[in-house]
Amino acid sequence: MDSDRRVIERVAKGDEAAFAEVVGRYGGRLLAVAGRLLGSRADAEDAVQRALLQCFAGASSYRPRWAVSTWLYRILTNICVDELRRRSTRAAWDRALPPIAGSPDGQPGAYMDLHRALERVPREARVLLALRYVDGLSYGELARIRGISVNTVKSQLARGKSLLRAELADRGALT
Amino acid sequence: MIEPSTPDRLDDLLTGYFRPDVMPADLATRIARSARAVGADLGELGDRLAIQATPHGVSLIRTGRLEQPASAVARRLAERAREEIVEYLRGKRAFFSVPVDLSEAGAFQRRVLEAAREIPFGEARPYAWVAERIGNPHAVRAVGTALGRNPVPLIVPCHRVWRADGGLGGYLFGVALKRQLLALERSTPVLEGCASTRIVCRVGCVQGRHMNPENRVVFASVKDARSVGYRPCKVCRPSAAA
Repeated sequence: MDSDRRVIERVAKGDEAAFAEVVGRYGGRLLAVAGRLLGSRADAEDAVQRALLQCFAGASSYRPRWAVSTWLYRILTNICVDELRRRSTRAAWDRALPPIAGSPDGQPGAYMDLHRALERVPREARVLLALRYVDGLSYGELARIRGISVNTVKSQLARGKSLLRAELADRGALT
Repeated sequence: MIEPSTPDRLDDLLTGYFRPDVMPADLATRIARSARAVGADLGELGDRLAIQATPHGVSLIRTGRLEQPASAVARRLAERAREEIVEYLRGKRAFFSVPVDLSEAGAFQRRVLEAAREIPFGEARPYAWVAERIGNPHAVRAVGTALGRNPVPLIVPCHRVWRADGGLGGYLFGVALKRQLLALERSTPVLEGCASTRIVCRVGCVQGRHMNPENRVVFASVKDARSVGYRPCKVCRPSAAA
């Protein structure tokens, strides 16, 4: 984690090699979080690009009392959540718009049921599940990323998982 | 993939589903390149604007020079409009609270402008949508003309009206700016919460102005924010917006 911080200090000075290092370290995980939340590879890449651009441009405002991952995931989830907001207003206005269907690009069919079940999980819980399972983040870090209490993190995750269990059981996907 | 049901089956599924993706090799280079390319200056537009107001609201926004508003009330409104526009162009505001005075516009144009105001922040609608909206579906061309003469651009968002084929259509301040404004709105969130006060506001609310960036958390809806322990701001009333 200390080496993360040193790299960000170099990014703040405009060091592109250091930035490439951050992208190498976190890019795949950021893409997974964005991809599972947004459902399409193209939208995910766009969100990750915007997040990393903010990181590149705003590295000087990074506060070392946070882990670099907390900071990056905060930026990324802020972007993804706003994209989800835009989609729901768009859907409310244009009822003819088909719901986002299909598994995320590159996902094998085995995860199709889970993908569908996750769409039923409330957004905030879905964001927490993505962060928890992509990176195994602690409750404390999840709480800092989404600006909520540790207890709320726990109750949201528990509720999300119980919804998933019920949905998947209905589809016979947990047997 | 059929396995016996165990308490960990869901965890296994989730771990597999959320495994990290392979990242495109050139991502870092592409981002660094676009970071260097950022330069087109929307702030410069703010400096060029002249704003006219009546005691009822902002009545005219144009580049160049306009007469000073006659009364103190009108001057304050014009000043407030300028502040809001500057914040908007910096990506710090997702709504305008300053009133507009469209009384100089004809009835048809007023209906067109009111319809344009209904287009949500960050979105675009075709000219034909506006024509439908005002109950005059064949008046697409007239809608275009009415929007082209929008007395209060930016605040009445005629830049959110595009051609049905995705083309830009025209714009008072030039089509390049029209594209930039849409891009700006796409990257400006609408609802933000403060992690220390646990209050959710519309972006641009006076309450959020001094928020420490570390505390900024974006939400997709007031309902989402409530679900994790935030309450809506009483000043900007975000429930009315999203």
